[in-house]
Amino acid sequence: MINQVQKKILILALFAGEIMLKSGAEIYRVEDTVTRICKACNIPYAEVFATTTGIFVSVDEGSEHSDMHTFLKRIRNNSIDLEKISKINQFSRTFATTDLSIDEGMDLLKEINHSSQFAFLWRVLGAGMIASFFTVMLGGRLLDFIASFAIGVLTYFVTILLERLELNLFIKDFCSCALVAFLALLFVGIGLGHSTHLIIIGSIMIFLPGVSITNAVRDSLTGDLVSGLSRAMEAILVAVAIAAGVGLVLKIFGAFGGVY
Amino acid sequence: MLLQFFYAFASTAGFCLIFNVPRRHMISASTVGALGWTAFQYALFIGHGNVAACFFGSCVVALLSDICSRVFKDATTLFIIPGILPLVPGAGMYNTMLAFLDSNFEKMTKIGSETILMAGSIAVALLMVASLIKAIVTIKRGFFDLFRKRKNLKNINSEQ
Repeated sequence: MINQVQKKILILALFAGEIMLKSGAEIYRVEDTVTRICKACNIPYAEVFATTTGIFVSVDEGSEHSDMHTFLKRIRNNSIDLEKISKINQFSRTFATTDLSIDEGMDLLKEINHSSQFAFLWRVLGAGMIASFFTVMLGGRLLDFIASFAIGVLTYFVTILLERLELNLFIKDFCSCALVAFLALLFVGIGLGHSTHLIIIGSIMIFLPGVSITNAVRDSLTGDLVSGLSRAMEAILVAVAIAAGVGLVLKIFGAFGGVY
Repeated sequence: MLLQFFYAFASTAGFCLIFNVPRRHMISASTVGALGWTAFQYALFIGHGNVAACFFGSCVVALLSDICSRVFKDATTLFIIPGILPLVPGAGMYNTMLAFLDSNFEKMTKIGSETILMAGSIAVALLMVASLIKAIVTIKRGFFDLFRKRKNLKNINSEQ
């Protein structure tokens, strides 16, 4: 039988791992954190296997009469939040070195999980900044800057709304990028902006799968090939979704006789 | 070049806002991204191809973010993710798609393969820099361990 204390420890460790995976941490960091928490609570044998969609943990007390227990946690809904990764990284260190009790640790974790992101306005502003400065970086002019700032703000707003609907990742990117292309054509059509191409390129930067590419490499590097491959696959699918979204709108526009 | 640096700084700061990089790291993370983009532009300027320039820029980002993570004692991911994003070949992808829409398959394969190579070069750059740093750290630690073991042996010998 597993006793109550061990159960609490496991829930704590799994919760920490879950938050990290959801925030987009690398696999070895998740496995390291979970193992570290288990070891800090005097569980001698703890083996963790994490993938991008779930965590498995096996624990054993190590005595002759103890049983082996395995727990499984399914992970859904990834959203990147680097501050949480940073906080839990520090949490696992302090938990291992100081004698924090399990309940106190749980409270800390809950606090981290509910810690707010930047205010909504700041994030929208960030999206606008990415789109607009990218357009200028590639050679856009002042009007392009203004147009892509507006597009960045609007599409990011729509993406957040689509996230609320809990659609799958690819449909979300497809819709957002179709909207980008539509708005870019519209703005250039009414005379706000010179180059449709530059505005679209700048605005789709927000949705590009750079995080997936980076994490795919870093996971493969540490030997987590399953997660590495699945993240590479995600990157490819997102790229295709973006291209399809933009392409569809441009094609329809072309079919009605527009020149893009 | 200075203007490019500023633009890249601003757009990386935008990524920091979206991905919720902790406030105390925002300036350093944006600087990493901006320097990476400037390195990319510089490599293009002295006449290298897109792929080589992308490789060079990613190497700079990977190195700088590792240095940052050691200086500020935080995860490397915090600096790599916002820093690498400006280098992701969005323009190449868009142009590939445009060529596809025009049914210009020759152009599509040309730009498309270059885009895939650029994404690949980012991956290879990250991989190489990370392995190099790992090797250096291991060698350093290994030397110290050797040293320590010898010291211990000496102590034991002297005690005997």
